[in-house]
Amino acid sequence: MAVRELAEHCLRLLGEPVIVTPPETGIVMMQVREPIVRERFHLGEVVVTRADVELAGHRGWSIRQGTDRVATLAAAICDAAAQSGGEIAADVERLCAETARSIERSEADLATTLRPTIVEFEELD
Amino acid sequence: MGYAAARGGLDAIAAAEDLVRDARDLADSPWLGLDQLIDRQRLAVDRVMGEGGLWDPRLAARALQQAEGDTVEASHLLRSYRATLPRFSYSHPVDMDDAKVLRRIVPAFRNPPGPQLLGRTTDYTGRLLDRTDDDLARERAEKRVMESTFDADGDVVSNATDTAGSASSASVGLGDRRHRRLLEVLRDMDLLVDRRRTDDPKPVDITRAAVRPPALRSAVLATMARAETGALVNLWYRNILGPDGYIHEVTLGEVRHAELPVTVTHPHTGGPVDIGVVRATEVEAIEDLDGADEDRTRFDAGYGLCFGHNEKKAIAMANLDIACHRDGGGGNGGSELEQSILMTTDGLDASGFLEHLKLPHYVTFRSMVDRKMAMRAAGRSDTAVDGAPVPADPREGDCA
Repeated sequence: MAVRELAEHCLRLLGEPVIVTPPETGIVMMQVREPIVRERFHLGEVVVTRADVELAGHRGWSIRQGTDRVATLAAAICDAAAQSGGEIAADVERLCAETARSIERSEADLATTLRPTIVEFEELD
Repeated sequence: MGYAAARGGLDAIAAAEDLVRDARDLADSPWLGLDQLIDRQRLAVDRVMGEGGLWDPRLAARALQQAEGDTVEASHLLRSYRATLPRFSYSHPVDMDDAKVLRRIVPAFRNPPGPQLLGRTTDYTGRLLDRTDDDLARERAEKRVMESTFDADGDVVSNATDTAGSASSASVGLGDRRHRRLLEVLRDMDLLVDRRRTDDPKPVDITRAAVRPPALRSAVLATMARAETGALVNLWYRNILGPDGYIHEVTLGEVRHAELPVTVTHPHTGGPVDIGVVRATEVEAIEDLDGADEDRTRFDAGYGLCFGHNEKKAIAMANLDIACHRDGGGGNGGSELEQSILMTTDGLDASGFLEHLKLPHYVTFRSMVDRKMAMRAAGRSDTAVDGAPVPADPREGDCA
C-alpha cells in the first residue's frame, strides 16, 4: 500500500485531520564538513516540501525531497496515525518496513552493477 | 546598475518569445520529457543543479527543457525559482566519511584502503562518435543486462553483498560503500600537514550577501561549489600552467561520486530525520609543498565538492582550494587568486553581464560618438578628452 492509499485509509478510520501547516515547498541548506580542515561549508540547497497535521488528537509531521505536496500531506497523516496505536499504527509500521526493504533491495542491486567495475591496475616496470 | 531602460517594442518582444516557445513546444520530433532528460542527459541536469546551487533533478530538467539545453540559462532559471522559496532550515552537517560511493578512484595510490571503483565512466574509452542505430544500441544494452543478470544456465547471478577484504572481481570488496580515505593513510605516515580545526566556525552563507575578498575559506568553497564549470576549469588551467606566476604539482588523492544523506531536525521530537540523499562529486588534491616557508617534508591537500556528477568541476575546485590557501587566500588575508574565484567564476554574474551587452546601448554609444567628434574637432584624435565622464567600473555604466 502506497503512502497516499494508506493516508486515505487512515482518514476513513480516524476522521478528518486538522491541517496545522498545509504542504509548503521550501529549501534546506545543505551543510557539509570537509575532511581536510574539518571545516563546515554550504554545498547548496535542497528543495523539500513539508506539512504538519493533527489527527485524532495526535500531531503528524512530514518533510520530503521534491515538490509533491499530496505525498507530503499523506505522510504527515500517516505519522499522526502511527501514534494512535492499534491496527492502523501497525499498517503504518508495515509500510515503513516495506520501504526499508525496498531500499535494501535497491542497495543490493546497485552493488551488483558496481562490483564488476572494481579494478586493480597493474604497474609497469 | 543605473539602467535607463529603453521603451517600446513589446509586441516584437512577445512575438520573438513566441518563436522560441513554438519552435520548442511544437517541433515535429517526439517531446523531450523530464524523465528523458533526467535518465539520458544526466550530466547536463547535474551541472544545472550544481551551478544553480539547488538540488532537485525534476526542476533542473524542467529548466533545461525551457532553456533549450543552455545550462547557464537553466541555472539562472533554477536560481530565480529558488528565490521564491522560503528556507526552512539547515541540514545537519554531513561528515563526508558517511557518503556512500558510486565511483571512487585514487590516482595517487595503486592499493588505497577500499576499492578502486570505476563505477559509471567512459574515462578509459576512446572518444569516437558512436553512430550505432538507436534500436540496435538498445538491443545490445538489453542483452548485456540479461547476461549480467542470468548465467549460462538461466539462473540468477548471485548478488550477495560482499564485505571489505572478500574476493570479488578484485581483491577488495564494496562493503557498505564507505571507505577510508587516502588522506588518513598519509596522516598515518605523517606525510600530511595537519590543518584540522578544533573549533567549529559558522559557515558563510553566500546566498544572503555577496562575498567580497578577503573571505573565509567556507565562503570560497561555497562559491566554487556553485561556480560555472567552464570558469573554474579555465581558472585552474591558467593557474596550473603558470602565467600568473603559480606553479603547482598536484596529484589527485580521491575522486568520488557519492550519495550524501540529507538530515534535518524533527520539529516535534528534536531528533535527526533522514529525508533522502543527494549525489555529489568529491575530490582531494594533494599538493607537493616546495615553498621556502613551507614544510617540504609533507604534503598539503585541497578540497572540491559540488552537487551531481561533475568531476571536471570538483577537480578544478580542489586544486584551486589548495592554490588559494598557499597564495594567502581563504581566510589567510586574501590573494589575487581568491579575488578571481570570488568575483569571476559565477555563471550568472558573468553571463548576465555579457548578455546585457545585447540590450540597447543607444545613449552610451551616442555619448562615445559625441566624444570622438569633439576630439576630432579639437584636433586631438588619439587622446582622451580631459574631464570626460568615464565610469570606473563598466558594470556601473548606464545602458540605453
